[in-house]
Amino acid sequence: MSEERTYESAVARIEEIIRRLDSGEAGLRETLALVQEGRDLVEYCASELEAVSQGLQELRLEELVARLEGAGAPAPAEEGEQP
Amino acid sequence: MPLAPRPRPVHPIASSKVINPAPESSDALVESDLPGPYPVGAYAAQLKRRLREFARVQLVGEVWGVRAGRARVYFELRDARGALPCSMWRSDFERLGVTLSDGLRLVVGGGCDYYPGSATSSPSFSFAVSELRVAGEGDLLLQLERLRRQLAAEGLFEPQKRLPRPLLPRTIGVVTGERGKARDDVLAGLRRRGWGGRLVWAFAPVQDRHAAPRIAAALRELAAIPEVEVVIVARGGGSLADLFAFCDEALCRTVALLRVPVVSSVGHHTDRTLLDDVAAVSCSTPTHAAEAAVPVDCRAARAEASAFARRLRDHARRSILVRARALGHLSRAPAEHVARHRQALHQQLRELRASARRACAEGRSLASVHLRVLSRGATRAATSEQARRRAELEQLALALTAHDPERTLSRGYALVEDAEGKPVTSAARARAAAEVAIRFHDGRVRARVSG
Repeated sequence: MSEERTYESAVARIEEIIRRLDSGEAGLRETLALVQEGRDLVEYCASELEAVSQGLQELRLEELVARLEGAGAPAPAEEGEQP
Repeated sequence: MPLAPRPRPVHPIASSKVINPAPESSDALVESDLPGPYPVGAYAAQLKRRLREFARVQLVGEVWGVRAGRARVYFELRDARGALPCSMWRSDFERLGVTLSDGLRLVVGGGCDYYPGSATSSPSFSFAVSELRVAGEGDLLLQLERLRRQLAAEGLFEPQKRLPRPLLPRTIGVVTGERGKARDDVLAGLRRRGWGGRLVWAFAPVQDRHAAPRIAAALRELAAIPEVEVVIVARGGGSLADLFAFCDEALCRTVALLRVPVVSSVGHHTDRTLLDDVAAVSCSTPTHAAEAAVPVDCRAARAEASAFARRLRDHARRSILVRARALGHLSRAPAEHVARHRQALHQQLRELRASARRACAEGRSLASVHLRVLSRGATRAATSEQARRRAELEQLALALTAHDPERTLSRGYALVEDAEGKPVTSAARARAAAEVAIRFHDGRVRARVSG
């Protein structure tokens, strides 16, 4: 895909792939290529889901802004907070 | 009070020159010194005329008991000290597009009027309203309506709705009051989705009329963080007046041009705020707003992803199995073909042998028949031929016997032979041979030729 991969585009493409495979019209080479592409996409979706399954992380806007500004600064005051 | 001329019900009319016909003196109350009696319809018409002369004014009060007639709308305007029946042409009222509910404060403009009635209909007094607007809150609602129309005309309700909304945002911004039920509701909604990403709270006053600039600033700051993919603006409960912070023109214009989709849950069921109109999605509760911000149920999505993986694996396996089976079938086909041919050949061979045997047997029996026929024929033919031949033979034997040298020899003749047994037929040859054999009928003797 040329455009940026997103969860929704990935899900849409997987559904398209499954439809194509279900149609039974794909040849062996195409089937294997589609399955490979589908697997990559499913893996991507799983990783996206994994990313929002880590438990809710709550931040206050001011903290986040301070942290972002801190990250840009040469000597951040906070310890253990730096990525 | 602006009601300048106080009504004087009797004297002005009684003194009027217009009343006609004249009082019917025969029916007059004997003991009364009042003028008249006058016909009531004439008096009513006079009353109507005089009431209409009252100055036209604006009145303010609460509206009660609104009901619509065929041509006019009727209601009462009240305050603590009194009330006035009012009416308005229905067409004028409907043109205003306002909905009146009991207790709503109105400012009306108009003047007194009196319907004199007739022999068959009752008279009535009313304040004929020609202008009307809602005071206070109602006033604000009208302003709001105007602003809504303006923003809609500028197309500002559209940009947010055109923004793509992520199915699975990793970071969500929330603008809400720090202390309020909305905060818990948002969390409950997100939990219901099984979502556990990053939540950025931007707390701002949401119940205050002057909160709009703070809300707008919070929204701008959230939108400035690249990770924030969607923003929820939530407000839990509150009175109608509290909603006006969310109808602020500057706030609505800010939201309309934001790069991230905004999910609002501020409006009431009946009173939509302008923010609800401008936002990408508007929800009735903060919980619903949270669910709208994460359209995917994460648990269901995980199940779906593994179902996808399973189906892909099945497809891969099946596509190979089907083809392997087809290949196997194809590879077996030539061997089966050969086997089939071989079997056919065997069969043909067997048939050939059988038929050969059959042919041989038939030939043999035919031949024996022929043989019998032939031998019979031959026997028949041979008997006569044989007799003839025998006779011939006997004759020949007789002839032979006649010519047999042995017979000659037995009669006393001798045969001279040379050393090789050849007959010596002349004296010269006998001399040449020198030694000869003389054959008699009973044997041979050697002789030497001497002369």
